[in-house]
Amino acid sequence: MTFKNLFIEHRRTPEAQAWIDEEVAAQEQRFQTIEKQMRDLAPQREIWYREFFDRISTIGFNADGDDKVRIKPEDLPVQPEGRRDRVVWKHGTDTD
Amino acid sequence: MARPHIEPFCDRDVNFKNMLLPGFGRGMGYKMLSLDNDTGACSMTVQFDGGYSQAPGFSWSELEMIVIEGELQVGARKVRKGHYFFVPAGYALPALSSTGGAQVLMMYNTGEPSHVEATEHHPLSQVDLYHDIDSYMDIPWAVGNVTKPSVASGCMIKLLNYNPISHAMTFLYCMTPNFYQDNISYHDCAEESYHLWGTSWMMQFGDLPSGGYFWRPAYINHGAFASEFGCIALGRTDSKLFNHFHYNPWTTPVENRARSAARIYQRDPLLYRWMMSKDHNHPHSPQDFEQTMARRGPDYDHAAAAVSDGKEHHHWHGHHHRHDGDHDHSHSHEHGHRHD
Repeated sequence: MTFKNLFIEHRRTPEAQAWIDEEVAAQEQRFQTIEKQMRDLAPQREIWYREFFDRISTIGFNADGDDKVRIKPEDLPVQPEGRRDRVVWKHGTDTD
Repeated sequence: MARPHIEPFCDRDVNFKNMLLPGFGRGMGYKMLSLDNDTGACSMTVQFDGGYSQAPGFSWSELEMIVIEGELQVGARKVRKGHYFFVPAGYALPALSSTGGAQVLMMYNTGEPSHVEATEHHPLSQVDLYHDIDSYMDIPWAVGNVTKPSVASGCMIKLLNYNPISHAMTFLYCMTPNFYQDNISYHDCAEESYHLWGTSWMMQFGDLPSGGYFWRPAYINHGAFASEFGCIALGRTDSKLFNHFHYNPWTTPVENRARSAARIYQRDPLLYRWMMSKDHNHPHSPQDFEQTMARRGPDYDHAAAAVSDGKEHHHWHGHHHRHDGDHDHSHSHEHGHRHD
């Protein structure tokens, strides 16, 4: 990606703005669909979490590259009370 | 607001739309992958129909593209799948055409797609930054440890573009068959990926097949990782890629960001204090959740919580491993495998 200010100021045409507006609306719909799909995946994900805990406490946690550390079972995290499992965050740290 | 979190998405699930913006001509279809609501910057899978042609010209936005399938005529050159272009804003490309059709991943980084017919570069274009390469044939795979801590072996990269100021990168990456990496990761940067071929798996999102895509804002958990049959993908970051690994799947982006800050505080305390004292004083340092999170503790019945009896577990790759007795998991002992 960029980020050397590789953009040249220009006037956006109404046509281009209409195109963006249409795509933004479609993207919002897509986001809602993905968010629901990922909520629906929660029961399967719970199993994957348990398997992950099982593996990192027996085979090991990839701490760096192939260096593995076995996590003691008593050090495994517990889900904070009242916090639902969530994996989609619309705007990252700025998500409501 | 910048691009939202789009993950997972597969472009095979939607149809091509006709590109109707001026300058692109007829015969160009696109599937929108993600879009910045304000700037119009976007990533798209693009289909050029057989016989498509586009006059020489430039975009107001910086553009990256890689050929997914087919052949593209760019001026006097014919390029094929795997060919990558980095095109600065205002850089006039020669005429572009495709006799038999082609699919291209196009990424407009700083504004909406635009094409202004021109045979000369715009005066403000930073033309020296232009480069293109056949990424499949002309770059060798390198080990993936471009950053420490690094990914597990079996994940390799080809660096395509690097910004020395922000450390933003564009790269091809691949996972070998049976690749796996058992940790959860997040980064201080946004990350984007498009699967050119193959399927990978992440613990939060499941399988991402060919045509699979994500745009992930910073500080969002992803991983553990696996790929049963391997995959090749194009990846990008918008600033320095640092792997913050951990094993707590329930942390939030805000907590992850605080941990990143805490790690700066722990590693570079003088710098951190100076940075924080310039604008405001915080009564408390940022929290590193790994030091404070609730843990199971010694009295927790770990065996009961596991999905298996401790001897058999159902792994990501669809096999059942069974191991009896107390032993390590090196590959020097026999596994009794049962395939589904």
